[in-house]
Amino acid sequence: MTQLLLFNAFNGLIQGAFYALMALGLALILSLNSVINMAHGGFLVIGAYLAYVFAPYVGFAGAIVLGPLGAAAIGMVVERVLIRPLYKRPDPLYTLLLTFGLALVIQDLTRTIWGPTGLPFEVPQILASPVSTVFFFITGYRLLVVALVAVAVIGLFLLLRRTPLGIRIRAGTLDLETVSALGVNIYMLRALNFALGCLLAGLAGVLAAGVLGLTPPMGNSLIMPSFVAIIVGGVGSLVGAILGGLLIGLAAGITTTFYPAASEAVIYLIMLIVLVVRPRGLLGHEGLFE
Amino acid sequence: MSAVLQAREVHAFYGKSHILHGVSLEVNEGEIVTLLGRNGAGKTTTMRALMGLTPPRMGSVTMLGADTTRWPAYRIARLGIGYVPEGRKIFPNLTVLENLTVPPPRPGPWNLARVFKLFPRLEERQGQLGRQLSGGEQEMLAIARPLLLNPRIMLLDEPSQGLAPLVVQEVMGVVKSMREEGLSVLLVEQNVPLSLGVADRAYVLDDGKVAYSGTAAALAADHELVQKLAGATAES
Repeated sequence: MTQLLLFNAFNGLIQGAFYALMALGLALILSLNSVINMAHGGFLVIGAYLAYVFAPYVGFAGAIVLGPLGAAAIGMVVERVLIRPLYKRPDPLYTLLLTFGLALVIQDLTRTIWGPTGLPFEVPQILASPVSTVFFFITGYRLLVVALVAVAVIGLFLLLRRTPLGIRIRAGTLDLETVSALGVNIYMLRALNFALGCLLAGLAGVLAAGVLGLTPPMGNSLIMPSFVAIIVGGVGSLVGAILGGLLIGLAAGITTTFYPAASEAVIYLIMLIVLVVRPRGLLGHEGLFE
Repeated sequence: MSAVLQAREVHAFYGKSHILHGVSLEVNEGEIVTLLGRNGAGKTTTMRALMGLTPPRMGSVTMLGADTTRWPAYRIARLGIGYVPEGRKIFPNLTVLENLTVPPPRPGPWNLARVFKLFPRLEERQGQLGRQLSGGEQEMLAIARPLLLNPRIMLLDEPSQGLAPLVVQEVMGVVKSMREEGLSVLLVEQNVPLSLGVADRAYVLDDGKVAYSGTAAALAADHELVQKLAGATAES
Protein backbone atom coordinates (compact mmCIF):
# COMPACT_ATOMS: atom_id res chain seq x y z
CA MET A 1 0.00 0.00 0.00
CA THR A 2 2.74 2.43 0.95
CA GLN A 3 4.58 1.56 -2.19
CA LEU A 4 1.46 2.04 -4.29
CA LEU A 5 0.88 5.42 -2.64
CA LEU A 6 4.48 6.43 -3.29
CA PHE A 7 4.18 5.20 -6.86
CA ASN A 8 1.07 7.27 -7.49
CA ALA A 9 2.41 10.28 -5.65
CA PHE A 10 5.59 10.23 -7.75
CA ASN A 11 3.55 9.79 -10.92
CA GLY A 12 1.41 12.71 -9.83
CA LEU A 13 4.47 14.85 -9.23
CA ILE A 14 5.75 14.10 -12.75
CA GLN A 15 2.34 14.96 -14.13
CA GLY A 16 2.39 18.10 -11.97
CA ALA A 17 5.76 19.07 -13.43
CA PHE A 18 4.19 19.00 -16.91
CA TYR A 19 1.30 21.13 -15.64
CA ALA A 20 3.77 23.53 -14.08
CA LEU A 21 5.76 23.94 -17.32
CA MET A 22 2.55 24.52 -19.25
CA ALA A 23 1.16 26.89 -16.64
CA LEU A 24 4.39 28.93 -16.63
CA GLY A 25 4.17 29.48 -20.38
CA LEU A 26 0.47 30.29 -20.20
CA ALA A 27 1.09 32.75 -17.37
CA LEU A 28 3.93 34.50 -19.25
CA ILE A 29 1.83 34.87 -22.38
CA LEU A 30 -1.22 35.97 -20.40
CA SER A 31 0.63 38.68 -18.49
CA LEU A 32 2.65 40.30 -21.28
CA ASN A 33 0.72 39.45 -24.45
CA SER A 34 -2.71 39.54 -22.73
CA VAL A 35 -3.57 36.39 -24.66
CA ILE A 36 -5.39 33.44 -23.14
CA ASN A 37 -3.53 30.94 -25.26
CA MET A 38 -5.95 28.13 -25.94
CA ALA A 39 -3.44 26.77 -28.48
CA HIS A 40 -0.85 26.14 -25.78
CA GLY A 41 -1.59 22.40 -25.88
CA GLY A 42 -0.97 22.60 -29.63
CA PHE A 43 2.55 23.91 -29.06
CA LEU A 44 3.11 21.02 -26.66
CA VAL A 45 2.13 18.64 -29.47
CA ILE A 46 4.37 20.46 -31.96
CA GLY A 47 7.33 20.17 -29.59
CA ALA A 48 6.70 16.47 -29.05
CA TYR A 49 6.27 15.53 -32.72
CA LEU A 50 9.22 17.66 -33.83
CA ALA A 51 11.36 15.83 -31.29
CA TYR A 52 10.06 12.55 -32.73
CA VAL A 53 11.04 13.70 -36.22
CA PHE A 54 14.47 15.00 -35.19
CA ALA A 55 15.40 12.07 -32.93
CA PRO A 56 16.68 9.70 -35.68
CA TYR A 57 19.06 12.38 -36.93
CA VAL A 58 20.22 14.17 -33.80
CA GLY A 59 19.68 11.52 -31.15
CA PHE A 60 17.60 11.62 -28.02
CA ALA A 61 19.45 14.48 -26.31
CA GLY A 62 19.42 16.60 -29.46
CA ALA A 63 15.70 15.99 -29.93
CA ILE A 64 14.96 17.17 -26.39
CA VAL A 65 16.61 20.48 -27.31
CA LEU A 66 15.41 20.87 -30.90
CA GLY A 67 11.76 19.93 -30.27
CA PRO A 68 11.08 22.84 -27.89
CA LEU A 69 13.16 25.23 -30.03
CA GLY A 70 11.03 24.24 -33.04
CA ALA A 71 7.86 24.90 -31.05
CA ALA A 72 9.26 28.31 -30.05
CA ALA A 73 10.10 29.20 -33.65
CA ILE A 74 6.63 28.23 -34.85
CA GLY A 75 5.15 30.14 -31.91
CA MET A 76 7.05 33.23 -32.96
CA VAL A 77 5.70 33.01 -36.50
CA VAL A 78 2.15 32.48 -35.20
CA GLU A 79 2.49 35.51 -32.94
CA ARG A 80 3.80 37.66 -35.77
CA VAL A 81 1.27 36.61 -38.39
CA LEU A 82 -1.94 35.86 -36.48
CA ILE A 83 -1.83 37.42 -33.03
CA ARG A 84 -0.06 40.74 -33.59
CA PRO A 85 -2.85 42.18 -35.76
CA LEU A 86 -5.26 41.60 -32.86
CA TYR A 87 -3.32 43.50 -30.15
CA LYS A 88 -5.03 46.75 -31.01
CA ARG A 89 -8.38 45.24 -30.08
CA PRO A 90 -8.64 45.46 -26.31
CA ASP A 91 -11.19 42.64 -26.01
CA PRO A 92 -9.31 39.38 -25.15
CA LEU A 93 -12.13 37.42 -26.78
CA TYR A 94 -10.56 37.85 -30.25
CA THR A 95 -7.29 36.15 -29.37
CA LEU A 96 -9.10 33.55 -27.27
CA LEU A 97 -11.20 32.53 -30.26
CA LEU A 98 -8.21 32.69 -32.59
CA THR A 99 -6.05 30.45 -30.42
CA PHE A 100 -8.98 28.10 -29.83
CA GLY A 101 -9.31 27.66 -33.57
CA LEU A 102 -5.56 27.32 -33.89
CA ALA A 103 -5.58 24.50 -31.32
CA LEU A 104 -8.04 22.56 -33.50
CA VAL A 105 -6.01 23.23 -36.64
CA ILE A 106 -2.77 22.04 -35.02
CA GLN A 107 -4.44 18.89 -33.73
CA ASP A 108 -5.90 18.02 -37.13
CA LEU A 109 -2.68 18.84 -38.95
CA THR A 110 -0.84 16.53 -36.58
CA ARG A 111 -3.40 13.83 -37.27
CA THR A 112 -3.08 14.33 -41.02
CA ILE A 113 0.71 14.25 -41.04
CA TRP A 114 1.46 11.54 -38.49
CA GLY A 115 -1.84 9.63 -38.32
CA PRO A 116 -4.40 9.30 -35.53
CA THR A 117 -2.77 6.41 -33.74
CA GLY A 118 -0.19 6.82 -31.04
CA LEU A 119 3.52 6.71 -31.83
CA PRO A 120 6.19 5.58 -29.40
CA PHE A 121 8.89 8.05 -28.40
CA GLU A 122 11.97 5.93 -27.87
CA VAL A 123 13.83 6.64 -24.66
CA PRO A 124 17.41 5.30 -24.46
CA GLN A 125 17.54 1.92 -22.76
CA ILE A 126 19.73 3.18 -19.96
CA LEU A 127 17.07 5.74 -18.98
CA ALA A 128 14.13 3.40 -19.32
CA SER A 129 15.15 0.99 -16.57
CA PRO A 130 14.36 1.54 -12.90
CA VAL A 131 17.11 2.94 -10.75
CA SER A 132 16.29 0.60 -7.84
CA THR A 133 14.16 -2.49 -7.32
CA VAL A 134 12.34 -1.15 -4.28
CA PHE A 135 11.23 2.00 -6.02
CA PHE A 136 10.57 0.18 -9.28
CA PHE A 137 8.62 3.16 -10.65
CA ILE A 138 11.54 5.59 -10.49
CA THR A 139 13.23 5.18 -13.86
CA GLY A 140 16.19 7.16 -15.01
CA TYR A 141 13.92 8.90 -17.49
CA ARG A 142 11.58 10.13 -14.80
CA LEU A 143 14.49 11.50 -12.82
CA LEU A 144 15.66 13.20 -16.01
CA VAL A 145 12.20 14.76 -16.39
CA VAL A 146 12.35 16.15 -12.86
CA ALA A 147 15.88 17.45 -13.41
CA LEU A 148 15.11 19.09 -16.76
CA VAL A 149 11.96 20.75 -15.43
CA ALA A 150 13.99 22.10 -12.52
CA VAL A 151 16.66 23.38 -14.92
CA ALA A 152 14.04 25.02 -17.13
CA VAL A 153 12.36 26.71 -14.17
CA ILE A 154 15.65 27.98 -12.74
CA GLY A 155 16.74 29.11 -16.19
CA LEU A 156 13.50 31.02 -16.68
CA PHE A 157 13.83 32.71 -13.31
CA LEU A 158 17.43 33.73 -14.04
CA LEU A 159 16.33 35.08 -17.40
CA LEU A 160 13.60 37.18 -15.83
CA ARG A 161 15.83 38.36 -13.01
CA ARG A 162 19.21 38.90 -14.58
CA THR A 163 18.85 39.74 -18.27
CA PRO A 164 17.62 42.98 -19.86
CA LEU A 165 15.11 40.91 -21.86
CA GLY A 166 13.66 39.39 -18.70
CA ILE A 167 13.58 42.72 -16.87
CA ARG A 168 11.75 44.30 -19.82
CA ILE A 169 9.25 41.43 -19.84
CA ARG A 170 8.56 42.00 -16.14
CA ALA A 171 8.25 45.75 -16.68
CA GLY A 172 5.96 45.20 -19.65
CA THR A 173 3.52 43.05 -17.71
CA LEU A 174 2.61 46.14 -15.68
CA ASP A 175 3.09 49.01 -18.12
CA LEU A 176 3.87 48.12 -21.71
CA GLU A 177 3.31 51.68 -22.93
CA THR A 178 6.07 53.12 -20.74
CA VAL A 179 8.41 50.31 -21.78
CA SER A 180 7.79 51.34 -25.38
CA ALA A 181 8.33 55.04 -24.62
CA LEU A 182 11.72 54.08 -23.19
CA GLY A 183 12.83 52.77 -26.55
CA VAL A 184 12.08 49.05 -26.25
CA ASN A 185 10.66 47.40 -29.36
CA ILE A 186 7.55 45.99 -27.75
CA TYR A 187 6.55 44.07 -30.87
CA MET A 188 9.79 42.12 -30.61
CA LEU A 189 9.40 41.84 -26.84
CA ARG A 190 5.95 40.30 -27.14
CA ALA A 191 7.09 37.96 -29.93
CA LEU A 192 10.03 36.73 -27.85
CA ASN A 193 7.82 36.30 -24.80
CA PHE A 194 5.28 34.30 -26.79
CA ALA A 195 8.11 32.15 -28.15
CA LEU A 196 9.43 31.66 -24.61
CA GLY A 197 6.01 30.39 -23.50
CA CYS A 198 5.88 28.04 -26.49
CA LEU A 199 9.41 26.82 -25.69
CA LEU A 200 8.20 25.71 -22.26
CA ALA A 201 5.14 24.05 -23.81
CA GLY A 202 7.37 22.28 -26.32
CA LEU A 203 9.62 21.04 -23.53
CA ALA A 204 6.59 19.72 -21.65
CA GLY A 205 5.58 17.95 -24.87
CA VAL A 206 8.95 16.28 -25.45
CA LEU A 207 9.20 15.13 -21.85
CA ALA A 208 5.59 13.95 -21.73
CA ALA A 209 6.11 12.00 -24.95
CA GLY A 210 8.70 9.83 -23.21
CA VAL A 211 6.19 8.98 -20.48
CA LEU A 212 2.87 8.89 -22.32
CA GLY A 213 3.85 8.38 -25.97
CA LEU A 214 2.72 10.59 -28.86
CA THR A 215 -0.90 11.14 -29.87
CA PRO A 216 -2.41 14.12 -31.71
CA PRO A 217 -4.71 15.06 -28.80
CA MET A 218 -1.97 14.67 -26.15
CA GLY A 219 -2.12 18.40 -25.41
CA ASN A 220 -5.81 18.30 -24.54
CA SER A 221 -5.39 16.32 -21.35
CA LEU A 222 -2.71 18.76 -20.17
CA ILE A 223 -4.15 22.13 -21.13
CA MET A 224 -7.16 22.33 -18.80
CA PRO A 225 -5.23 21.28 -15.67
CA SER A 226 -2.62 23.89 -16.60
CA PHE A 227 -5.23 26.63 -16.58
CA VAL A 228 -6.42 25.26 -13.25
CA ALA A 229 -2.82 25.42 -11.99
CA ILE A 230 -2.72 29.15 -12.78
CA ILE A 231 -6.01 29.79 -11.01
CA VAL A 232 -4.96 27.75 -7.98
CA GLY A 233 -1.50 29.34 -7.85
CA GLY A 234 -2.76 32.84 -8.44
CA VAL A 235 -3.05 34.70 -11.76
CA GLY A 236 0.03 36.84 -12.34
CA SER A 237 2.35 34.83 -10.12
CA LEU A 238 4.87 32.58 -11.84
CA VAL A 239 5.86 30.89 -8.59
CA GLY A 240 2.14 30.30 -8.03
CA ALA A 241 1.84 28.63 -11.45
CA ILE A 242 4.59 26.16 -10.52
CA LEU A 243 3.14 25.54 -7.08
CA GLY A 244 -0.38 25.12 -8.49
CA GLY A 245 0.83 22.66 -11.12
CA LEU A 246 2.74 20.48 -8.67
CA LEU A 247 -0.10 20.61 -6.15
CA ILE A 248 -2.85 19.45 -8.46
CA GLY A 249 -0.59 16.82 -10.04
CA LEU A 250 0.28 15.41 -6.64
CA ALA A 251 -3.35 15.51 -5.50
CA ALA A 252 -4.49 13.67 -8.63
CA GLY A 253 -1.75 11.07 -8.13
CA ILE A 254 -2.60 10.43 -4.50
CA THR A 255 -6.32 10.24 -5.28
CA THR A 256 -5.59 7.53 -7.85
CA THR A 257 -4.44 5.26 -5.03
CA PHE A 258 -7.74 5.44 -3.19
CA TYR A 259 -10.35 6.20 -5.78
CA PRO A 260 -8.99 6.27 -9.35
CA ALA A 261 -12.25 7.49 -10.86
CA ALA A 262 -11.96 10.78 -8.95
CA SER A 263 -8.35 11.52 -9.91
CA GLU A 264 -9.39 14.08 -12.49
CA ALA A 265 -12.28 15.52 -10.53
CA VAL A 266 -10.05 16.27 -7.56
CA ILE A 267 -8.20 18.89 -9.63
CA TYR A 268 -11.40 20.84 -10.11
CA LEU A 269 -12.40 20.30 -6.51
CA ILE A 270 -9.15 21.98 -5.43
CA MET A 271 -9.85 24.85 -7.80
CA LEU A 272 -13.35 25.18 -6.36
CA ILE A 273 -12.04 25.29 -2.79
CA VAL A 274 -9.34 27.84 -3.67
CA LEU A 275 -11.84 30.03 -5.49
CA VAL A 276 -14.20 30.00 -2.52
CA VAL A 277 -11.62 30.40 0.25
CA ARG A 278 -8.99 32.52 -1.50
CA PRO A 279 -10.20 33.80 -4.87
CA ARG A 280 -6.90 35.44 -5.80
CA GLY A 281 -5.15 32.04 -5.62
CA LEU A 282 -2.43 30.81 -3.30
CA LEU A 283 0.15 33.45 -4.27
CA GLY A 284 -2.16 35.79 -6.12
CA HIS A 285 -1.05 38.87 -4.24
CA GLU A 286 2.49 38.58 -5.44
CA GLY A 287 2.16 39.73 -9.00
CA LEU A 288 4.75 38.73 -11.52
CA PHE A 289 7.87 37.85 -9.60
CA GLU A 290 7.82 40.42 -6.85
CA MET B 1 18.36 78.49 -34.67
CA SER B 2 16.85 75.42 -36.21
CA ALA B 3 13.78 73.59 -35.02
CA VAL B 4 14.47 70.12 -33.67
CA LEU B 5 10.80 69.49 -32.99
CA GLN B 6 7.95 70.77 -35.06
CA ALA B 7 4.27 69.90 -34.68
CA ARG B 8 1.94 71.14 -37.40
CA GLU B 9 -1.85 71.24 -36.99
CA VAL B 10 -1.89 68.12 -34.82
CA HIS B 11 -5.32 66.65 -34.10
CA ALA B 12 -5.58 63.88 -31.53
CA PHE B 13 -8.45 61.86 -30.11
CA TYR B 14 -9.12 59.65 -27.13
CA GLY B 15 -11.60 57.21 -28.58
CA LYS B 16 -14.25 59.49 -30.04
CA SER B 17 -13.43 62.61 -28.06
CA HIS B 18 -11.51 65.16 -30.02
CA ILE B 19 -8.82 66.50 -27.64
CA LEU B 20 -6.33 68.41 -29.80
CA HIS B 21 -7.76 70.73 -32.44
CA GLY B 22 -4.75 71.53 -34.57
CA VAL B 23 -1.83 72.19 -32.24
CA SER B 24 1.28 73.66 -33.83
CA LEU B 25 4.46 74.26 -31.90
CA GLU B 26 8.22 74.29 -32.27
CA VAL B 27 11.22 73.63 -30.12
CA ASN B 28 14.57 74.95 -31.34
CA GLU B 29 17.92 73.43 -30.64
CA GLY B 30 19.12 74.05 -27.08
CA GLU B 31 15.87 75.70 -26.05
CA ILE B 32 13.63 75.11 -23.04
CA VAL B 33 10.05 75.57 -24.15
CA THR B 34 7.19 75.33 -21.70
CA LEU B 35 3.67 74.26 -22.47
CA LEU B 36 1.11 75.75 -20.10
CA GLY B 37 -2.63 75.56 -19.76
CA ARG B 38 -5.48 74.69 -17.48
CA ASN B 39 -6.35 71.13 -16.52
CA GLY B 40 -7.82 69.38 -19.54
CA ALA B 41 -6.41 71.88 -22.03
CA GLY B 42 -4.58 69.07 -23.83
CA LYS B 43 -1.03 69.40 -22.49
CA THR B 44 -0.51 65.72 -21.69
CA THR B 45 -2.26 64.68 -24.90
CA THR B 46 0.13 66.90 -26.86
CA MET B 47 3.08 65.16 -25.22
CA ARG B 48 1.56 61.74 -25.89
CA ALA B 49 0.91 62.69 -29.52
CA LEU B 50 4.53 63.83 -29.96
CA MET B 51 5.74 60.59 -28.38
CA GLY B 52 3.54 58.37 -30.56
CA LEU B 53 1.49 57.09 -27.63
CA THR B 54 -1.68 58.82 -28.80
CA PRO B 55 -0.81 59.06 -32.48
CA PRO B 56 -2.07 62.17 -34.29
CA ARG B 57 -5.03 61.51 -36.57
CA MET B 58 -4.27 64.60 -38.61
CA GLY B 59 -1.33 66.93 -38.86
CA SER B 60 2.33 66.05 -38.72
CA VAL B 61 5.22 65.85 -36.29
CA THR B 62 8.82 66.29 -37.37
CA MET B 63 11.62 65.61 -34.92
CA LEU B 64 15.36 65.77 -35.58
CA GLY B 65 14.66 65.90 -39.28
CA ALA B 66 12.44 62.80 -39.42
CA ASP B 67 8.69 62.71 -39.98
CA THR B 68 7.67 60.76 -36.88
CA THR B 69 3.90 61.25 -37.18
CA ARG B 70 3.12 57.57 -37.68
CA TRP B 71 6.05 56.08 -35.80
CA PRO B 72 5.54 53.78 -32.80
CA ALA B 73 6.78 55.18 -29.49
CA TYR B 74 9.88 53.00 -29.30
CA ARG B 75 11.17 54.24 -32.65
CA ILE B 76 10.64 57.84 -31.57
CA ALA B 77 12.50 57.14 -28.33
CA ARG B 78 15.38 55.56 -30.25
CA LEU B 79 15.59 58.56 -32.53
CA GLY B 80 16.73 60.46 -29.44
CA ILE B 81 13.59 61.62 -27.68
CA GLY B 82 13.48 61.17 -23.91
CA TYR B 83 10.04 61.11 -22.33
CA VAL B 84 9.22 61.63 -18.67
CA PRO B 85 5.55 60.70 -18.43
CA GLU B 86 2.91 62.34 -16.29
CA GLY B 87 2.75 60.53 -12.96
CA ARG B 88 6.33 59.29 -13.49
CA LYS B 89 5.26 55.71 -14.36
CA ILE B 90 8.01 54.03 -12.39
CA PHE B 91 7.83 50.22 -12.61
CA PRO B 92 6.82 49.52 -9.01
CA ASN B 93 7.79 45.82 -9.11
CA LEU B 94 11.32 46.48 -10.35
CA THR B 95 14.29 47.76 -8.40
CA VAL B 96 15.84 51.14 -9.17
CA LEU B 97 18.66 49.42 -11.06
CA GLU B 98 16.19 47.27 -13.00
CA ASN B 99 14.14 50.37 -13.87
CA LEU B 100 17.33 51.80 -15.34
CA THR B 101 17.94 48.58 -17.29
CA VAL B 102 14.68 48.88 -19.26
CA PRO B 103 15.85 51.55 -21.78
CA PRO B 104 18.29 50.02 -24.29
CA PRO B 105 21.44 52.14 -23.90
CA ARG B 106 22.41 54.32 -26.86
CA PRO B 107 25.95 55.63 -27.25
CA GLY B 108 26.61 59.06 -25.82
CA PRO B 109 27.78 60.88 -22.72
CA TRP B 110 25.05 59.46 -20.47
CA ASN B 111 25.69 56.11 -18.81
CA LEU B 112 24.78 54.55 -15.50
CA ALA B 113 27.79 56.03 -13.69
CA ARG B 114 26.97 59.54 -14.88
CA VAL B 115 23.29 59.18 -13.98
CA PHE B 116 24.27 58.04 -10.50
CA LYS B 117 26.60 61.03 -10.23
CA LEU B 118 23.71 63.36 -11.10
CA PHE B 119 21.32 61.56 -8.72
CA PRO B 120 23.41 60.06 -5.89
CA ARG B 121 20.22 59.05 -4.09
CA LEU B 122 19.39 56.61 -6.88
CA GLU B 123 22.75 54.94 -6.43
CA GLU B 124 22.16 54.61 -2.69
CA ARG B 125 18.74 53.10 -3.30
CA GLN B 126 19.52 51.04 -6.41
CA GLY B 127 18.37 47.79 -4.80
CA GLN B 128 15.03 49.20 -3.57
CA LEU B 129 11.79 48.51 -5.41
CA GLY B 130 10.28 51.39 -7.36
CA ARG B 131 7.24 51.46 -5.13
CA GLN B 132 9.41 52.00 -2.03
CA LEU B 133 10.80 55.31 -3.32
CA SER B 134 9.63 58.74 -2.23
CA GLY B 135 7.94 60.98 -4.79
CA GLY B 136 11.14 62.95 -5.33
CA GLU B 137 13.22 59.83 -5.82
CA GLN B 138 10.64 58.49 -8.27
CA GLU B 139 10.87 61.72 -10.24
CA MET B 140 14.65 61.47 -10.37
CA LEU B 141 14.34 57.88 -11.57
CA ALA B 142 11.78 58.95 -14.17
CA ILE B 143 14.25 61.56 -15.49
CA ALA B 144 17.25 59.20 -15.23
CA ARG B 145 15.66 56.43 -17.30
CA PRO B 146 15.35 58.31 -20.61
CA LEU B 147 18.72 60.02 -20.07
CA LEU B 148 20.31 56.61 -20.64
CA LEU B 149 18.91 56.78 -24.18
CA ASN B 150 21.19 59.80 -24.66
CA PRO B 151 18.32 61.84 -26.07
CA ARG B 152 18.65 65.15 -27.89
CA ILE B 153 15.15 66.25 -26.93
CA MET B 154 13.50 65.76 -23.53
CA LEU B 155 9.74 65.83 -23.12
CA LEU B 156 8.88 66.36 -19.45
CA ASP B 157 5.27 66.10 -18.36
CA GLU B 158 4.73 67.83 -15.02
CA PRO B 159 7.94 66.86 -13.27
CA SER B 160 7.08 69.02 -10.23
CA GLN B 161 3.72 67.36 -9.59
CA GLY B 162 3.22 66.49 -5.95
CA LEU B 163 6.78 67.25 -4.89
CA ALA B 164 8.04 69.27 -1.93
CA PRO B 165 9.38 72.75 -2.85
CA LEU B 166 12.99 71.82 -2.17
CA VAL B 167 12.76 68.78 -4.42
CA VAL B 168 11.08 70.89 -7.10
CA GLN B 169 14.06 73.24 -7.02
CA GLU B 170 16.38 70.28 -7.47
CA VAL B 171 14.39 68.95 -10.42
CA MET B 172 14.34 72.37 -12.08
CA GLY B 173 18.09 72.60 -11.57
CA VAL B 174 18.42 69.36 -13.51
CA VAL B 175 16.18 70.73 -16.29
CA LYS B 176 18.42 73.80 -16.58
CA SER B 177 21.53 71.64 -16.67
CA MET B 178 20.00 69.69 -19.57
CA ARG B 179 20.10 72.86 -21.63
CA GLU B 180 23.75 73.30 -20.77
CA GLU B 181 24.28 69.77 -22.12
CA GLY B 182 22.82 70.91 -25.42
CA LEU B 183 19.49 69.16 -24.92
CA SER B 184 16.28 70.74 -26.11
CA VAL B 185 13.45 70.54 -23.59
CA LEU B 186 9.68 70.69 -23.85
CA LEU B 187 8.29 71.14 -20.36
CA VAL B 188 4.64 70.77 -19.37
CA GLU B 189 3.90 72.38 -16.05
CA GLN B 190 1.05 73.32 -13.76
CA ASN B 191 3.44 75.52 -11.81
CA VAL B 192 3.46 78.57 -14.07
CA PRO B 193 5.99 80.83 -12.30
CA LEU B 194 8.37 77.93 -11.92
CA SER B 195 8.31 76.96 -15.59
CA LEU B 196 8.39 80.56 -16.88
CA GLY B 197 11.45 80.97 -14.67
CA VAL B 198 13.45 78.33 -16.54
CA ALA B 199 11.92 78.51 -20.03
CA ASP B 200 13.02 80.54 -23.03
CA ARG B 201 9.64 80.45 -24.76
CA ALA B 202 6.12 79.48 -23.80
CA TYR B 203 2.97 78.15 -25.40
CA VAL B 204 -0.39 78.26 -23.68
CA LEU B 205 -2.96 75.66 -24.65
CA ASP B 206 -6.65 76.25 -24.23
CA ASP B 207 -9.28 73.72 -25.23
CA GLY B 208 -6.92 71.81 -27.49
CA LYS B 209 -5.61 74.87 -29.35
CA VAL B 210 -2.60 77.10 -28.95
CA ALA B 211 -3.98 80.29 -27.38
CA TYR B 212 -0.67 82.09 -26.92
CA SER B 213 2.90 81.74 -27.96
CA GLY B 214 5.81 84.01 -27.20
CA THR B 215 8.85 84.43 -25.04
CA ALA B 216 8.62 83.26 -21.46
CA ALA B 217 9.69 86.68 -20.22
CA ALA B 218 6.91 88.46 -22.09
CA LEU B 219 4.30 86.04 -20.78
CA ALA B 220 5.61 86.31 -17.23
CA ALA B 221 5.27 90.11 -17.42
CA ASP B 222 1.63 89.93 -18.49
CA HIS B 223 -0.05 88.81 -15.27
CA GLU B 224 -3.52 89.28 -16.63
CA LEU B 225 -2.88 87.09 -19.65
CA VAL B 226 -1.33 84.36 -17.54
CA GLN B 227 -4.30 84.46 -15.21
CA LYS B 228 -6.70 84.24 -18.11
CA LEU B 229 -4.98 81.54 -20.13
CA ALA B 230 -3.21 79.33 -17.68
CA GLY B 231 -5.44 79.78 -14.67
CA ALA B 232 -2.59 80.77 -12.42
CA THR B 233 -0.56 83.77 -11.45
CA ALA B 234 3.00 84.31 -12.53
CA GLU B 235 4.02 85.74 -9.19
CA SER B 236 6.63 83.67 -7.51
